[in-house]
Amino acid sequence: MSVAVHLAGITKRFPGVVANDEVDLEVEEGSVHALLGENGAGKTTLMNVLYGLYQPDGGTVHVHGDSREFYTPRDAIDAGVGMIHQHFMLVDTLTTAENIVLGHEPRKWGGLAMDRAQAERDVRELGERYGFDVDPEAKIEDVSVGVQQRVEILKALYGGADVLILDEPTAVLTPQEVEDLFGVFEELAAEDKTIIFITHKLGEAMDAADEITVLRDGRNVGTVDAADTTREELAELMVGREVLLEADKEPAEPGDVGLSVSDLRVTDDRGVEQVSGVNIDVREGEVFGIAGVDGNGQSELVGAITGLRAPESGTVRVDGRDVTDLSRRERIENGMAYVPEDRQKRGLVMDFDLVENGLLGSQHTAPFSDGGRIDWAESREHARGVIEEYDVRPNDPDAEAESLSGGNQQKFVVGREFARDPEVVVASHPTRGVDVGSIEFIHERILDLRRAGKTVLLVSSKLDEVQQLSDRLGVMYEGEVVDVVDPDRVTEEELGLLMAGQIPEDAPSIADAVGGEP
Amino acid sequence: MSDPDDAPGSDDGGNPAPDTEGDDSDPDSNPDPDDSWQGRADRALGRLVDASAVERILISVAALVLSVVVGAVVILVSGWAATCQSAFFSAPGLGSFCYDPVSVYRTMAAGAVWPPYNLAISLKETTLLLFTGLSVAVAFRAGMFNIGTQGQLVLGALGTALAVVWAAPFVPAGIVGALVLVPLGLLAGAVVGGAWGAIPGALKAYADANEVITTIMLNFVATGIAFTLVAEVFKDPESQTVQTRSIPEFAQLNPVYFDSTVFSLYALFGGLAMAGIIYWLLNGTAFGYDLRTSGLQPEAAEYGGVDSKRTMVSSMGLSGALGGIGGAVYVLMVASRWRTGIPSLGFDGITVSILAGNNPLGVIPAALLFGALKTGSLAIEFQLSVPNQLVGVLRGLIILFVAMPEFFRMVGRRFRFREDRPVATDGGGGSSADGVSGSATDGPSGTIDNEGGDRQ
Repeated sequence: MSVAVHLAGITKRFPGVVANDEVDLEVEEGSVHALLGENGAGKTTLMNVLYGLYQPDGGTVHVHGDSREFYTPRDAIDAGVGMIHQHFMLVDTLTTAENIVLGHEPRKWGGLAMDRAQAERDVRELGERYGFDVDPEAKIEDVSVGVQQRVEILKALYGGADVLILDEPTAVLTPQEVEDLFGVFEELAAEDKTIIFITHKLGEAMDAADEITVLRDGRNVGTVDAADTTREELAELMVGREVLLEADKEPAEPGDVGLSVSDLRVTDDRGVEQVSGVNIDVREGEVFGIAGVDGNGQSELVGAITGLRAPESGTVRVDGRDVTDLSRRERIENGMAYVPEDRQKRGLVMDFDLVENGLLGSQHTAPFSDGGRIDWAESREHARGVIEEYDVRPNDPDAEAESLSGGNQQKFVVGREFARDPEVVVASHPTRGVDVGSIEFIHERILDLRRAGKTVLLVSSKLDEVQQLSDRLGVMYEGEVVDVVDPDRVTEEELGLLMAGQIPEDAPSIADAVGGEP
Repeated sequence: MSDPDDAPGSDDGGNPAPDTEGDDSDPDSNPDPDDSWQGRADRALGRLVDASAVERILISVAALVLSVVVGAVVILVSGWAATCQSAFFSAPGLGSFCYDPVSVYRTMAAGAVWPPYNLAISLKETTLLLFTGLSVAVAFRAGMFNIGTQGQLVLGALGTALAVVWAAPFVPAGIVGALVLVPLGLLAGAVVGGAWGAIPGALKAYADANEVITTIMLNFVATGIAFTLVAEVFKDPESQTVQTRSIPEFAQLNPVYFDSTVFSLYALFGGLAMAGIIYWLLNGTAFGYDLRTSGLQPEAAEYGGVDSKRTMVSSMGLSGALGGIGGAVYVLMVASRWRTGIPSLGFDGITVSILAGNNPLGVIPAALLFGALKTGSLAIEFQLSVPNQLVGVLRGLIILFVAMPEFFRMVGRRFRFREDRPVATDGGGGSSADGVSGSATDGPSGTIDNEGGDRQ
């Protein structure tokens, strides 16, 4: 086997930070290599160096044994290196075939026009060769995120890439699509293509990669064979200390029903019904998990519970009180904390500093405000407290939210919401984009809330997360809760079936245990 | 360039890269990788966006100086191209230069403050622009582009004139009457302007109507309503023109220190205090927090429990009330009645607000600069034989230069990439930034007549 990519002593500095510190990396041809690390470990920077987006301050890049200097991505592409970013760069209104050939269009009429038929033939051929199911005539705006990703991969292949870099490729995918993607990796590796993918998820690295390189604080702390490593070893490499992967959970002591949703129907912005008659009762001192493939009504359900979306019908009760018609503000003031799905759109005001962001949702209430005037000294103390407790970096209340990395933004949002001393907590993907050390911490805090007798509704697309933390687990499919199961007894296969809308016969259903109308 | 080997760019440590231009700040490192024009533009924008308050003031001063330098060149060149009887400077081979940049700028600077009458005119303008500038700034901070300050001012002025004229017979003349009528007039202006401003706010909140369109259109409606009302109902029977009766003399804001002018220090102090109040309202109160959050990120505001529709209406109401107070001050201090031909203070307020970076405290120096420029330009026209058009160009240059850094700050905020995305992936300036560019270049082109700049 020859070495496809060899990075030697790559150093990359940004003002005030060393993002990569003499990183060595060797990737064999025809292998799948995972680049694993916490947020801000320098994974993306290193790959941007390989792709020519950044020039290193030190070190050399070798591709297929030749020393290379990439000044632009163009140079990298010419050397056969392609990169698929986290945010796709496709033209929504063009077809998949048009997107794939963009920049290398087959021509006709002496180069005057694009040969559309030829392009579609090429794309179909390419798709068949790698076992991709892509309709060349479909518009990008009409296809799913998973297909868009495949289009990106095909585009890189069409451009002649034999080394493919993927930045957090699974972040936007459903579990099924993730599996499909890993299948694609195998196909590509079998064709002697080299794959490097960035991730901060241990399981994915172990599932999909042949070799795993772990970065921490910009340094390569070890390259291991995926076959003979353990999750514990990887986690320790990533964080630099031992990590408890399994949250310790004592049996639940559920109290009264704290949050009750009955016969809830919610439509989305286009007026399509997304939640079709959901009934959920969550007790105090209990974590109720909601699993499901993204887009099966979870967002709309959470929106209706938290007061961001008016339901068509049905009721939401908190501690037996009907809050269906209460405004978002009234719900916050009644003790509802909410970790939103999208921290950059909803959870934080990106141009505000952390003092101001710490106030979001509490701007009208004591002790930060008497309804009119804001007590900035108190707010600053509050922000400082959240920063300390959740180890938000930089440790600076005057930093703008925008300047924080995604994981630190998430930690700040979680910290702020849990600091509300809430009665009911709705957490949507509370550890999305957060590194493994902080996941452990956030999970502990969720269990703390449970111990303190709070009512917790946890929505997550990470199965291990909902399984570990929940006392009962509802599975949503097409706007309905198809079953409520015991997370300790349910198997992944059973969950998979439920998430696809089928109820396996021997599922450990505990739907009957759900309290009726309070 | 005495050394023939001294090629451009080779002065920063024997840098081997082909295309560095010598602004690498770190001599130890290799050529800064992002030395492409995008990289540099990105860094420059980043520096502007991150600039501290002191840096921003320094940048503004530097921009002012630079505009004078460029303006001086413009003066020289146009003086060289023009023909005149007595050139201020001529050299054999070069030709003759008609206009002296030093005296032009000296006249502009001195004319803004001397004689005292000129200073009063400058400050009168400043006072009125304080209110209209604040009006636009408040709406801007709430995420809305209020082009309707002019209409709010026109109707506010009418409300003030009518209220004061109506109430005058019921109060004793003299200081007591003034203490009743002046607050009444201000209140009437604020209420009428505020109500008028709240209309586009409500249209946006409940009917999703773009406030740029509605405020522009409502300007015409406002002027039409005011004109019709005055012409048909409230016309001063002793006058040939369309105007209301005069407010009683004791209710006029009297000049302090500056005799025989239409400027009152009380009004100026009122305007300065208003800037402070608005600043506090935005930064020190829950209402201001709601307003700024809605302006920056409506979804986050909603998440934080802000009633976005109510905030739209109330912030546009506040914006309109400030415009209305501007109209009240115009009536009480300048015109003593409502009459046609109200100057375009509302539109100038847009430029003032942009110049101020939409910061209420920044409105103070911006309004001062505007007021001074207006009087200084008049002084040049009266005292020197420099054409009007050239004066307009000089004035425009100053505003353009001073406004540009703030403008780029606004653009920069939008173009900045988040998290660790690659450079130059997405961007696309938002609508407000685009709108800004239009008006920033628009402002200076207005006429510089003292009272005649009426666009209605």
